[in-house]
Amino acid sequence: MSLAKPAMRGLLGKRLRFHLPIAFALSLVAAAAFKYGVTEPRKQAYADFYKQYDATKEFNNMRDAGVFESVRPTGE
Amino acid sequence: MHCGKYIKSQTVKLCIVVLHIDGIRSPLASRCYSHAKVETDEEFDARWVTYFSKPDIDAWELKKGMNTLIGYDLVPEAKILDSALRACRRLNDLASAIRILEAVKDKSGPHKDIYPYLIQELQPTLIELGISTPEDLGMDKL
Repeated sequence: MSLAKPAMRGLLGKRLRFHLPIAFALSLVAAAAFKYGVTEPRKQAYADFYKQYDATKEFNNMRDAGVFESVRPTGE
Repeated sequence: MHCGKYIKSQTVKLCIVVLHIDGIRSPLASRCYSHAKVETDEEFDARWVTYFSKPDIDAWELKKGMNTLIGYDLVPEAKILDSALRACRRLNDLASAIRILEAVKDKSGPHKDIYPYLIQELQPTLIELGISTPEDLGMDKL
């Protein structure tokens, strides 16, 4: 039983033509998933935190806790 | 042979041959923008058979030819390999002859049907020249 002649040319090219578009597509999907799953929620969390942030109040809390060297707590 | 512009993202542009399921191949050395006449497969094969058929081929030319041939995106045809094996015979280089068979098996990669087919086609030559295959010598099990 003699073997039939298989395809012998362009095997790598064929493989790349198939796999590279998939690779590019999956990379874009991974990047998009990271952007919308991680970085956007993170940015939103920061925005939400600072929307109602009162810098002066926080400063006074830290001052009264005694963590500064440049100012002493109120009342000392 | 025509080329399709394949835009994958806003900034990356690949120029590749249009994808067809039954496989249009780009020949070995052609550029989309080149007007050079593209060499046919038969011309390519004939060129390499001629290269290895040189009666006074030397060891360097044999090695250079094989290395160049292995660099291409193809498994060499049986007639090219036959010509190369006969060149090895003229150079009294059995080691290179067996190495050529190993290289062909490696070039086939995941396509396991190519190597048995080529051994089948080369059988008369292997017998005539007294070349053992790596399998005969147990070298594929190292």
